Amino acid sequence: MTDVNSEEYEDVWVFVEEHDGEVMGVSWELLEEAKSLAEETGEDLVALVIGHDVHDVAERAVSRGADRVLVADDEVFEPYRADPYGEQFRAMVEARKPSIVLIGGTHTGRDFAGRVAVPSHAGLTADCTEIDVDDDGVLQARRPAFGGNVLATIICEEHRPQMATIRPGVFESAPAEPDREGQIEHVDVVVDEADTLTEVLERNTNETVDITEADRIVAAGGGVDGDLAPIRRLADALDAEVAASRRAVDEGWIEGSRQVGQTGKTVRPELYVAVGISGAVQHLEGMNDSDVVVAINNDPNAPIFEHADYGIVGDLFEVCPALAEALEETDTPEVTP
Amino acid sequence: MTDHPTIVVGIKQVPDDDEVSIDPDTGRLDRSSAPAVLNRPDRNALEAALGIRDEVGGRVVAMTMGPPPAAEVLEVAVAMGCDDGVLVSDVAFGGSDTWPTSLTLARTVEYLDGDIVVCGEETTDSSTGQVPPGIAAHLGWAQLTYVEELEPLPETGQLAARRDVEGGYERVIADLPVVVAVAFGENHPRPAGLHRKIYAETEFEPVTLDADDLGIDENTVGLAASPTQVGGMDTIEGVERERVTVGTVDELIDELAGTEVLP
Repeated sequence: MTDVNSEEYEDVWVFVEEHDGEVMGVSWELLEEAKSLAEETGEDLVALVIGHDVHDVAERAVSRGADRVLVADDEVFEPYRADPYGEQFRAMVEARKPSIVLIGGTHTGRDFAGRVAVPSHAGLTADCTEIDVDDDGVLQARRPAFGGNVLATIICEEHRPQMATIRPGVFESAPAEPDREGQIEHVDVVVDEADTLTEVLERNTNETVDITEADRIVAAGGGVDGDLAPIRRLADALDAEVAASRRAVDEGWIEGSRQVGQTGKTVRPELYVAVGISGAVQHLEGMNDSDVVVAINNDPNAPIFEHADYGIVGDLFEVCPALAEALEETDTPEVTP
Repeated sequence: MTDHPTIVVGIKQVPDDDEVSIDPDTGRLDRSSAPAVLNRPDRNALEAALGIRDEVGGRVVAMTMGPPPAAEVLEVAVAMGCDDGVLVSDVAFGGSDTWPTSLTLARTVEYLDGDIVVCGEETTDSSTGQVPPGIAAHLGWAQLTYVEELEPLPETGQLAARRDVEGGYERVIADLPVVVAVAFGENHPRPAGLHRKIYAETEFEPVTLDADDLGIDENTVGLAASPTQVGGMDTIEGVERERVTVGTVDELIDELAGTEVLP
């Protein structure tokens, strides 16, 4: 039904998400992964930066691998709002016709991506964990489906651009090469404050920890029965962040921003300690990229043991404090003069 | 805000994700035995919508899109307190991805003359979270996603929200009309009232709307009109783990010491 000529569309675009000059880690992860897509299609890797006073961000995008950077710089873009971002991004997409557009699957990315894809009639795939292109330049956007043990490949053959949001934390971050050179181009800003539909009164992002960045995580499940003290103590001893299964969040024991799993976050720490977590597939999906998984559970038949490197069958209220204590003892005491 | 806003709640029937099991032979998820239930995050949407009505009046209409049996979830919504329920159903809609789905729901909102649309954060079966922003985009309305708290501002005709953002929160005011997606688990859905429950089960009949009723060209919806298609499905190979069971905390520390993951 469409008369889109895919030949007119070229280049791989990556949205660089910044808030007040601070770039979200997923943006550099996307740049790194998109490099290989652009190499395969022989096209440019283009970074998009939308914000205010963001020239520095554009330079950092070059150092992280962008061949070109498109910058929309205006006060209207700070702080982030879906309607001006969506409209600006849509205008850039329609004017410049990228073939592939990748956006971090953060709340911001998932908030505005549809406001680009809907009016552009683009295909938009959510929360991908693998991306590739075939010989015809068709994006193969793979995402976990059906609770996480099936990987669905989503394609978009007849519409352009091919858009995807990508889960944070699944790709390695692009390294910074300060001497790298690229072209930075400022584009026309097409939105005006008078046309916006929303107003941000306050933005506070120093409140909660981003567990996707943690090297070590101790996660609480239904087995903790509302008592997080042993989890917190073990996390302290391990210098780890506290996370949770959906059950622990549903019960109100811990805030939703720390939930790991299909309806929560994907984490890839060096060490993941699952405490009192049975190991439902929805949870496993969020922690399977962990380097080393330890399970503590009193049910020897809990599925989590099948997905752990090391398991202890035992009462978490005994095991966690004992483990914490042992770790505290092995700590080398810091000598301060 | 209009004096008596029409609040439309988008809800969906999905397989109960607590009941899906893994086929031991193929390793694939068996959903055939899972009962169909109301998408869990939609309960938070229903509560948020009913909460707005508690404060400023108006009416709450639940809408769902799907085959006729999907109307079951409308009964749940009416039992919780929704004034009415609409089933959007047509074979032409079959296979729609999020683009035509949000188009269809946007047209339904227009048909119902809605002022506020409230949805859950995402559905547990497809988990894209794209439909609420899609509805807002089709309608050209404001949107508020990942909403933790809502506050109607009747004097100015706006809705204030606290939104969850990475690492914290933000407070935003949106002009009406607006589409809201409520963050999963952020409120306590009210239980169904006994009288409403009896009414929902015995007397309530949903209005059914098809593409024709909504003025939708059948060529703009359904599988063929969907920009995205499923190109294939692969079973995810489980991550190989050591699966060593240790007996004591000391043994565990010894094992972990070899992996260099301890601080």
